[in-house]
Amino acid sequence: MSNQTSHQFPVYSHPNAASTVHEQKPVIVRLENVCKIYGFGETAVQALADVSLMVEQGEYCAIMGASGSGKSTGMNIIGCLDRPTTGHYYLDNLDVAQLGDTELARIRNLKLGFVFQQFHLLPQLSALENVMLPMVYAGVKTAERRERAVAALTRVGLENRLHNKPNQLSGGQQQRVAIARAIVNRPVLLLADEPTGALDSHTTQEVMQIFKELNASGITIVMVTHESEVARQTQRIVWFRDGQVLHSHLLPEDIAQVASL
Amino acid sequence: MDIFESVKMAISTLAANRLRSSLTMLGIVIGNASVIALVGVGQGVQNMANRQFGSLGTNVLFVVPGSRNATEKPKTLVLKDAEAIATQVPSVKAVAPEIDRRELVTYRDKRTYTSVIGATPPYPSVRDFDVAQGRFLTDLDLKRNAEVIVIGSDLDQRLFGDRNPIGQQVWLNNLSFQVIGVMASKGSSLGTNQDDAAYIPITTMSNRIVGWTSPYGTEVTYISVSAKNKASIDSAQFQITNLLRLRHRIIGEDDFTVDSQKSMLAVVDAITVGLTLLLAAIAGISLLVGGIGIMNIMLVSVSERTHEIGLRKAIGATQQDILIQFIIEAVILSSLGGLLGTIFGAGGILLIGAVTPLQAAVAPLVIVVAVSVSGGIGLFFGVVPARRAAQLDPIVALRSA
Ligand SMILES: Nc1ncnc2c1ncn2[C@@H]1O[C@H](COP(=O)(O)OP(=O)(O)OP(=O)(O)O)[C@@H](O)[C@H]1O
Ligand SMILES: [Mg+2]
Repeated sequence: MSNQTSHQFPVYSHPNAASTVHEQKPVIVRLENVCKIYGFGETAVQALADVSLMVEQGEYCAIMGASGSGKSTGMNIIGCLDRPTTGHYYLDNLDVAQLGDTELARIRNLKLGFVFQQFHLLPQLSALENVMLPMVYAGVKTAERRERAVAALTRVGLENRLHNKPNQLSGGQQQRVAIARAIVNRPVLLLADEPTGALDSHTTQEVMQIFKELNASGITIVMVTHESEVARQTQRIVWFRDGQVLHSHLLPEDIAQVASL
Repeated sequence: MDIFESVKMAISTLAANRLRSSLTMLGIVIGNASVIALVGVGQGVQNMANRQFGSLGTNVLFVVPGSRNATEKPKTLVLKDAEAIATQVPSVKAVAPEIDRRELVTYRDKRTYTSVIGATPPYPSVRDFDVAQGRFLTDLDLKRNAEVIVIGSDLDQRLFGDRNPIGQQVWLNNLSFQVIGVMASKGSSLGTNQDDAAYIPITTMSNRIVGWTSPYGTEVTYISVSAKNKASIDSAQFQITNLLRLRHRIIGEDDFTVDSQKSMLAVVDAITVGLTLLLAAIAGISLLVGGIGIMNIMLVSVSERTHEIGLRKAIGATQQDILIQFIIEAVILSSLGGLLGTIFGAGGILLIGAVTPLQAAVAPLVIVVAVSVSGGIGLFFGVVPARRAAQLDPIVALRSA
């Protein structure tokens, strides 16, 4: 594909982007020849085969590809939830493999926000408590914690559901709580694995609106999605196939073309 | 994350999962309560055995007719033997021969069987009895073959109730005896109720009730001897044996046996040690079973919570944060469970003490051991699997749900 080579340093029309043309921005995510193999011997599955990928600050990028193509595996490695079998991953120019448990925890806590397809809220905690949890581990003072959690929940439109338990919320509301939790420590990078997979089109649109605003406020976003409707609202699409990056800089308008291959 | 924050989080997690928390605690409670109660009962049994033997009197030896081994030997232990022991064995303080028979005692319209003991004046001092009312038998009573009787406290209750028995006449074997004293209550020893007894002069017993004597003299049931002190028990036993062998002109097998309370206590000790071991084994097993219960629930709850651990790590908890949270949870459960278990165990012991004659005791050492063992198990199985889960990559822990 010609797109791949022509967009070496992609430039987007971005409402908040102060910079203009061709200014190189800090690289947030850099995967270098990353492989991920699950299992051993006969049953070994190569989920990622030599993936190299860069994401710069301020990008809003979607990862697409067929089921089983390694999207979630890649996201988990980017989110420091998993480690590559071989290859290197630099987050904000830090070699993640060199970091100990405490430093990794700190990075997950402060630099990264992860939104899971299955929400992963703690069922015994209220929406507010779930959102406060990352700040507990960050050592934020109790009063400030509450204030920021309420602000984050207000931002995702849940100011009236602060004290509901997850099982007292709809799927879309739970996903919004998970987003609030992911952004409450003001991460550099927001990762979302099929955040709209379980939502209807109306709630999907609400969630996408939130992401758009977050990106506008400067947060780098990488999300996995199956829906071209959703991918179309991002600025760049990375296409996975069989554990490899087929296209790293697809424009939203070219999706239909690639998807039909 | 500071410790205060961790404690708050642990408490709110425990409170949010009440069923799981209380099930875990139940294992600890049952383990502790059963160990504390069981060992308490064991100690109660030991106390009771010791009390029973103690009530035989202190430093007492028993001379019993017949040999331990040869039953065909004639049983000839006579009053003169007792007098000889009293006068010739220097390490002996007092000697109390007795003739025991079960007899019907009648007071007015009340008739009852009781154990009638032909005794001598030293009897109460040798056997550690006290006279509650009136007096015991005297040498004069013996010399006169007097028809006087001293009754045990139970017999007193049965025959006289609230009436004053002193001076009353009771019938025994067609003879009228005057009650001259009542013994203080002594409880039972080795299955015999020592308060259900009556004491008459040994001479009266021999001449008027038994009615015959062996060729060697007045035959007695057995002779109780009190040694001067604890140290002289062995020498008294040796000297009595020699004296009686001489008196009975024995060359081969003895026709009597000298039992010291010590040797009996040794037997009882052996039994109670066995009993203690048995109870300790039972206690150990119940602790083990309780421990396995704790272990199971802890293991299940940790694997249940691996997902939670993965999520907490994914949003920024360190391994240490997870570990501290689980340690605090385990400590809270273990100590609360230990406390409740101790309360229930001690309560059970108090109840047993209230409704049975067992004076069961709460041993602080047992509480310490039980609480620390079950607490240790709770801590170990609460923390070690959590530690393992905390070491997983977050995504692995998250997927394991
Ligand atoms: N824990 C695992 N153990 C073994 N194999 C795994 C594991 N996780 C993923 N795989 C395999 O790795 C490959 C990539 O999986 P991955 O979850 O990354 O796919 P995906 O692109 O996210 O798919 P989907 O769109 O269905 O979510 C698949 O073939 C999958 O079977
Ligand atoms: Mg996936």
